[in-house]
Amino acid sequence: MKLLMTASQINGLPVVTVHGGDDVAEVRDVIYNPEAGRLVGLTLNKRGFFSGRSREVLPAEAIHAIGRDAVMIADESSLVAPADAPDDVGHPATDRNVIGNDVLTEGGTSLGVVRDLALLVGSAGEVVGYQIEKPAGGHGYIPLPAQLAVSGAALVVPDVTQEFIRDDLVGLGAAVDDFRARLGMQ
Amino acid sequence: MSDSFRSATGRKVVSRASAADLGMVSYFLVDVGQRRIASVVVGRGKKARLVDWAQVSGFGPDAVMVSDEGALRPAAGDREQAAADGKLDMLGKRTLTERGNKVGTIGDVTFDPATGVVEMLQISDRTIPADTMLGSGTYAVVVDASQEPVP
Repeated sequence: MKLLMTASQINGLPVVTVHGGDDVAEVRDVIYNPEAGRLVGLTLNKRGFFSGRSREVLPAEAIHAIGRDAVMIADESSLVAPADAPDDVGHPATDRNVIGNDVLTEGGTSLGVVRDLALLVGSAGEVVGYQIEKPAGGHGYIPLPAQLAVSGAALVVPDVTQEFIRDDLVGLGAAVDDFRARLGMQ
Repeated sequence: MSDSFRSATGRKVVSRASAADLGMVSYFLVDVGQRRIASVVVGRGKKARLVDWAQVSGFGPDAVMVSDEGALRPAAGDREQAAADGKLDMLGKRTLTERGNKVGTIGDVTFDPATGVVEMLQISDRTIPADTMLGSGTYAVVVDASQEPVP
């Protein structure tokens, strides 16, 4: 089954060890590479009474699974210091945050402003769409092609994206494959 | 005939040598890899002590028999201390699949009183074989992906 979640739904999830059954951290934020449409890792908060920002990060490769109720890792050794993590996780680029960016079609129509990321979760984490705030108001979800041009202020999507705006994550989940098939045919 | 964590909790622990009442069963510490009860926690709070399963001479319906009071020992290490404090108690604990989805809350755990082998986990209205367990800790019991909840 396909499970889609927004980044804000993932934020705050406990990070639980499969073989220990312990909650060793909590998701602070997702680290995302917009060009590649890929989750590269998670920043973390400490769990429990002494909560606060954790110095450790969780690279995407070390994630066993992301589910509705928890992010699962094999054991605590999956959490690493930023210096020991791949560069895009340890030192993510700060100028490529797409939240707040204007979404423009190739034809020059604004579809709205990016409010959240929609990720296909499970064993990996692929960013397959964005939650947008439409110019007329209200929220919608758009699917993304595998590759994308991102400037830091705006991002450009194919014209056909307009036909695939959906009202919720379930609708987006159903639209992603059709959308990419359409792009493949062009 | 199976016994269960819920029905065995509160059962008295008796010395076979002296017939003295040594306390009551409070929690179980499970070795997930072996799928067996590793030890039984007797008493609660600061008085909590552990009896290794190998030291239990008879896990009966009315009393848990141990050779003598020397079979009871203090917790050694973090995991045993957590067990003695009740933090690893599986009863009432959430169950997650290895995919990170919640299955439910554990209502009871059945085991074979002759061997200490853990048999089934009762979770809400489902019964899950204990060999699907991958981990058991302070936060959750983790089971394999075969127990993924149907949406």
